[in-house]
Amino acid sequence: MSPKIGVVTFPGSLDDQDALRAIRKCGGEPVSLWHGDDNVDGVDAVILPGGFSYGDYLRCGAISRFAPVMAEVIKAAEAGMPVLGICNGFQILCEAQLLPGALIRNDVRVFVCKDQDLQVESVDTTWTSEFTVGQTITLVLKNGEGGYVADEDTLQRLEGEGRVVFRYLNGNPNGSFHDIAGICNERGNVLGLMPHPEHNIDPLTGPTQDGRAFFSSVFNFLAAKV
Amino acid sequence: MARVVVDVMPKPEILDPQGKAVTGALARLGFAGMSVRQGKRFELEFDGEVTEERLAEVRRAAETLLANTVIETFDVRVEPTPESAGAVDEAQNSQAGNNQAENNKAENNKAENSKADGSEAKSAEEAELAARAG
Repeated sequence: MSPKIGVVTFPGSLDDQDALRAIRKCGGEPVSLWHGDDNVDGVDAVILPGGFSYGDYLRCGAISRFAPVMAEVIKAAEAGMPVLGICNGFQILCEAQLLPGALIRNDVRVFVCKDQDLQVESVDTTWTSEFTVGQTITLVLKNGEGGYVADEDTLQRLEGEGRVVFRYLNGNPNGSFHDIAGICNERGNVLGLMPHPEHNIDPLTGPTQDGRAFFSSVFNFLAAKV
Repeated sequence: MARVVVDVMPKPEILDPQGKAVTGALARLGFAGMSVRQGKRFELEFDGEVTEERLAEVRRAAETLLANTVIETFDVRVEPTPESAGAVDEAQNSQAGNNQAENNKAENNKAENSKADGSEAKSAEEAELAARAG
């Protein structure tokens, strides 16, 4: 039985359809979740997709973080369910305090849209076990508020515990501290990153197919769990 | 009607790209030597009095939603409006916990200060307008 991966659609989500398609293309069963849902019982993992949920009003992810479905996502994440936040999804995970730190406006003061080289720093997560440490990958990056910031203690803790999962390579596109592109929680089941794996699963539309390993990683994790 | 204002600012150590952009634009317009940091102001209006409980509730709201305390600081204050003057007195008195005479004195000083601030701001604005007109 193929794993069921839920993708939450908030008002203003943009990449939910690409995430659902990527799950299907990589061999999973995509499940549409709605921001107003009051449970995530039917799925094995959840993806919070990219976009501009609630119009980025107040702060990116600040309103979505209190959407009804998020209460369930937070509960499930704390119980160990794999959760992946991509771009706006990463911002929501930080606002929800499932991940430490915050994302602020790019230091370059422009929206950045490019194929971004990344270094894989940790394969000890539910979503990255199919990579190798030190591997260079390329994923689409597209955001206006992707600057990762956190206080010095938090940064030291993330570095010390191997929770920096991806680092920008060949130039820091947005002013992120320590060139951080993605981080995970202590348990490794919650991952947030600014670049978009779901746009990189198909030779027709992506610069690489490096995004596929995110999906095969979580499928393997879920298969091993059963 | 009573009004409570919540000011939210990016922490000093956090980069403020919007403030930088505004700083640059001001410099280009000839407003020299101004460094800007940009924040947000929320005006919360209530029917009735601003009690200590109400202020505590506003602080909770600010901490929960209005500000992200990882990157921002916030400040909560009662903004006196003509209709709410009495209610404000009461709220601030209970907050200070001092004797009535001192409170009244403090309140009067505060009122004078805010008046002074207001007229200062106005004259600064007028001066600026005059300068630009010139």
